[in-house]
Amino acid sequence: MNQSMFIVWRESVEALLVIGILQAWASQQGQGNRLVKFLWAGVLLGLMLSGLLAVLILFAGEAMSGSASEWFQAALALVASLLMVQMVGWMHRHGRTLTFDLRQHADRHLARRGGLGLLLLAMLAVSREGSETVVFLYGAGARLRGPQLGLFAVGSVMGLVLSALTLALLHGSRRFISWRRFFALSEAVLLMLGAALLVSGTERIGGQLLALDVPEQVYSLVGEALWDSSAVLSDSHGLGSFLAGFAGYRATPSGLTLLVWLGYWLVVGGWLRPRTADNLPCPT
Amino acid sequence: MKRLPLACLMLAGAVAPITARAELPTYELILRDGHFTPAVLEVPAGQRFKIVLKNNGQGPAEFESTPLRVEKVLSPGVTTFVVIHPLSPGHYPFFDEFNPQLPEGGILAK
Repeated sequence: MNQSMFIVWRESVEALLVIGILQAWASQQGQGNRLVKFLWAGVLLGLMLSGLLAVLILFAGEAMSGSASEWFQAALALVASLLMVQMVGWMHRHGRTLTFDLRQHADRHLARRGGLGLLLLAMLAVSREGSETVVFLYGAGARLRGPQLGLFAVGSVMGLVLSALTLALLHGSRRFISWRRFFALSEAVLLMLGAALLVSGTERIGGQLLALDVPEQVYSLVGEALWDSSAVLSDSHGLGSFLAGFAGYRATPSGLTLLVWLGYWLVVGGWLRPRTADNLPCPT
Repeated sequence: MKRLPLACLMLAGAVAPITARAELPTYELILRDGHFTPAVLEVPAGQRFKIVLKNNGQGPAEFESTPLRVEKVLSPGVTTFVVIHPLSPGHYPFFDEFNPQLPEGGILAK
């Protein structure tokens, strides 16, 4: 029971965190209702996609564990990472007012563009881990019988409740900190998740390249570890493992991972820094 | 900027013949509902190698290891493989994410 609770919590908390942040932010906008609708449509699509992917994994397992699926998952992670950054940029530009915006027209325009981003991001956030959760639940559901199955189901539901509580904690924190601080924190969380997604996508691609016949330099770039900090902070247990999942920490990063990670923060830093409330270009 | 090295690599990957090297040392690892056979895999350090993963269990498995840079879901009966980068000597843990309460397995690079 503990096991299913923990797994469901771990798999769903990231998606719920993203959705919670986006929902909190969208509901503060002038076009809040429309944006929130986009968001929930994305969640619904994400759940459907999870189910579809899970069915594929379970019934076309050979194909779904092969190389094509690795590239597909890497692409999902990279697109999700890009959307995280885009969303933070969008929040950054439009989140500062936090009051009803009188420029209805501009707002509507914004809602349509941003809405699509919200929808896609919610969909990817849900479906990435969602499909794994469905596979896990189905697998156990098909194997267990009687009271064991009951305990398992209780555990799974408790995992979801635990995730909801985590989310409530996040929302509750708004009482104690200002909106400005809340959104600064949210942006940081989304950007870190973006980095984690980028690193995981990069490593998937690296793993595929290692299996191919490519020049030796490629192997050393994507393969060899530049250093080993696992004695200080191991990425397979405890805090290091948490940071690996939420910020892309690696104790033994390859050259490629380091390049991509550094490039990410340089690009994100450079892109977000000069934007102030006054000299905004039109949202593109 | 962040995409540039990636693009180069993907180009390199596309240009090179898409075949796995035959001489890659290969090891077999059986997953059975969270248990690994063998529990510890000994490999030479400093060399790429391939692990053939077989899920002989009744339920699905998720073979995962951050230091080995692998995360793979296997439904029951599935056989697949991963290629691991050259390791420096040491112990690298892996586990079945769907059975986290069971003891980890590991790779011992010598």
